Amino acid sequence: MRYVGVLTRPLILHGELAWLGGAQLERDVAAPYRETTTIDGNQVRVVRPGQPPQDFDLGRAPELKGLLTGFRALLSGDAALLRATFSVSVSGDARAWTLQLTPRDAALTRRLAGISVDGSGHALRCLRMDQSNGDTSFTLLGALATSALPATPTPAELATLCAGGPAP
Amino acid sequence: MLLALWLATLAALGWAVAMHLRVETDLRAFLPPPRTPVQRLLLDQIGKGPGSRLLLLAIRGAPAADLARLSQGLAAALMRDPQFVLVANGGEDLLSRLDPALLPYRYLLTPRFDAQPLDAATLHAALEQRLADLGSPAAALLEPLLPSDPTLETLALARRWAPPQAPALHGGVWFSSQGAALLVAQTRAPGFDPAAQATALAALRARFAALPDRGAARLEVSGPGYFSVVVDQTVRRSVDRIGALTTIGFVLLLLAAYRSVPSLLLGALPVATGALAGLTALVLAYGGAHGITLAFGFTLLGVAQEYPIRVLSHRSPAVSAVTSVRALWPLLRTAIVSTAIAYGAFYASGVPGLQQLAVFAVAGVLAAGLATRWLLPPLLPVRVRDAADTPGLAWLAARLDALPRPRWLPALLLLAALAAIALAPGPFWQNDLGALTPVPPALLARDAALRQALGAPDVRYQLLLQAPGADAVLTLSEHLAPALRGLEQRGVLAAAELPSRYLPSLAVQRARQARLPDRAALTADLAVAERGLPYRPGLFAPFVADVERARALPPLTPAAFERTPLGARLASMLVTQGGQWYGLGALVDVRDPQALAHWADAQGGGVRLLDLKATSEQWVAAYRARILKALAASAFLLVLAVTLALRGPRRAWHVLAPMTLATLLALATLRATGIALTLFHLVALILAAGLGLHYALFFERDSDDAAERRRTLHATLVCVAAALLVFGSLAVSDVPVLRAIGLTVALGVGYHFALSLLMAPHRHAAGAGR
Repeated sequence: MRYVGVLTRPLILHGELAWLGGAQLERDVAAPYRETTTIDGNQVRVVRPGQPPQDFDLGRAPELKGLLTGFRALLSGDAALLRATFSVSVSGDARAWTLQLTPRDAALTRRLAGISVDGSGHALRCLRMDQSNGDTSFTLLGALATSALPATPTPAELATLCAGGPAP
Repeated sequence: MLLALWLATLAALGWAVAMHLRVETDLRAFLPPPRTPVQRLLLDQIGKGPGSRLLLLAIRGAPAADLARLSQGLAAALMRDPQFVLVANGGEDLLSRLDPALLPYRYLLTPRFDAQPLDAATLHAALEQRLADLGSPAAALLEPLLPSDPTLETLALARRWAPPQAPALHGGVWFSSQGAALLVAQTRAPGFDPAAQATALAALRARFAALPDRGAARLEVSGPGYFSVVVDQTVRRSVDRIGALTTIGFVLLLLAAYRSVPSLLLGALPVATGALAGLTALVLAYGGAHGITLAFGFTLLGVAQEYPIRVLSHRSPAVSAVTSVRALWPLLRTAIVSTAIAYGAFYASGVPGLQQLAVFAVAGVLAAGLATRWLLPPLLPVRVRDAADTPGLAWLAARLDALPRPRWLPALLLLAALAAIALAPGPFWQNDLGALTPVPPALLARDAALRQALGAPDVRYQLLLQAPGADAVLTLSEHLAPALRGLEQRGVLAAAELPSRYLPSLAVQRARQARLPDRAALTADLAVAERGLPYRPGLFAPFVADVERARALPPLTPAAFERTPLGARLASMLVTQGGQWYGLGALVDVRDPQALAHWADAQGGGVRLLDLKATSEQWVAAYRARILKALAASAFLLVLAVTLALRGPRRAWHVLAPMTLATLLALATLRATGIALTLFHLVALILAAGLGLHYALFFERDSDDAAERRRTLHATLVCVAAALLVFGSLAVSDVPVLRAIGLTVALGVGYHFALSLLMAPHRHAAGAGR
């Protein structure tokens, strides 16, 4: 789910997000169009059917790099890496918890306001990324990804859902 | 008093020269002067062409991820360095930006709307793609571009201008199949200016050394600029080493020959005077000199050391130095004048570097000769040891006198030499300048491998487009592009990069302008295209305004384009020479040059395949003809001068015959050993002939005085030993040019000495002269 300033309604994408270990991540979009993004270290490759692959360097997308670092640190349990990049605050309990990550780097702050991660137990439920320009994206993971959503959910509705509230 | 004055003058001259002498290093000064516009262009290209300014870089010796990071870091650092015009490492990716100065022109530069117009359907497809972009990880980067550039024309153009044939990408940067990160960097400095290239290379290495976390990674550099630095350093090192060795040898030789330190020191003054006079002449005539001129010049000037040696050897205790020099002077004068004539031949060559060499050597020889005649004698010590009494010399003289001198020997040698010259297999001339390169084969092999891995333009072949104006060249270039793509598909070549790749002709730009929709049409098309897509209304107003602006812009001219950062690339491909404009197409991996040349010739003039190697070989051959003519003229002058000096052809024959025969023998030996001759062999043969002429001149002066004849032998032996010392050490140098010269001169000196000794008039039976 992405809320982008230039669009009148959120973009809703369905697909799979897979951590391949280390700095490798794969993001497959299945609907409404097909797209595969592979991230290896700093290198991002976007492949769409019938088009030549597009490559770019994460050095140019610091907010994405911050998100990935956080994601990687969470999945690999690397608390040191997480705390080196973000100031971390935790709320909730083991059943429904939220990590609020705020970037430490001033340059990163100019692009990324913060990341919040919701989970219950060992499972991740939601990743929320707030860009400094006001754009917001939610990534609903696991069981939440298949839950029924309204055609155009509002950010507030999604936040409630992530926090463990009922589906809107 | 005289000595003090002399030294003071030398010091003053030395200071003045040091203040004003500019040492040039551009190797092109040793290329023949261009005759035709194409040759001029070629000369320009050899030095300043994009191919010759391209450095190929490889980073290896670390894990791939580190290499990729270092490649990015180095590319970023070099892009900020004004010494580099262009840096590429494959990192010009999706988000490469167009230069802001070109932004308004994007709809005139892009060919994407030539086939399908910028209409509602095109826009709709683009807007759908942009929606996917907004959902992709690149969203934050692309979002700011959308309002003014929904088709992402800026990115498309940047991609279009990326190098035509790129290596495989790993981690976003180019990698070779051997796992090295690859980059190319174009220097601002000309490729064949070693000093400027050395500065650029030093900056490059410093930038690399400043990168963080380099680990075991190392940077390898190749390309013409790097080679010119390697050659320069190799030659310099070699010359320095030889210079030091021969100086020590020379001092020991003279000490052994004359056993007098004052004689040694004073004997060095005439050549020092000659050197300073030569440098002064260079400063006055050219304001500076080429480094190679100086290196060769000092070698040529070494001949002048013979004058003080003659003076020192011919001293006898009975007469003062002034008197003995007076007796020696007619011969010395002939020697000096003939050397000056021989060296003067270089001036007629027309090659700037050789002309400087002639000015230096002739001025130096004359000054050294005059100094030997007028300044040296009054300063020499009054009491001397007679060189004629050198132990063993009398015995040697008797042995040499006793040598058989069959009258048929010269004729036989002449026949053998001519036969060897005529019949030896192998080419007579070496036209391939590359054969003389002192670049180690391993470096050349590495260069070839890197060039292939990078798909870097061929250094040998270029496509030359000719037209009356810059825009006409662009039109021609556009006209040729589809056919060249066909040739690429047929495998004739891997890729071609024409000037129109960067800038379309004015006509094409105007046609694109005419096809752009006007404001009303575009607004309507956009409304259709946005239907069903969630873009905020009015979002694309900047785009509509930009298209409207592009419709009214004056088309982008080459001059305007060249003011942008990308302009350097176009400037190197679009040059004017002699009122004509030329476009230079870079070609990658030309596999069938004949087919390409054939195609170019069939284009009805204006297009040709430029083969730098073939053209330079023809050029070298044509210019050698000119040098040979100059040599023939100087040989004629030499015969005339010697005949006049010796008052008649009979005595002149005794001098010229051994010299000519020895030169032929040296030539025959080179031929028989399979050495193809270069310009440098010619220079060396002339140098040896100059030395041989001196030997013959002095041996010809037959004297009834056995002691005087022993002095002549002594002087000649010292001269021969000195020459063999200098040129023998050149002959074992690792620089092909120096080796060619050293070997040829050492060989020549041996022949000249033997023949001038054996063919000198010999009225005295063995032992009778004593």
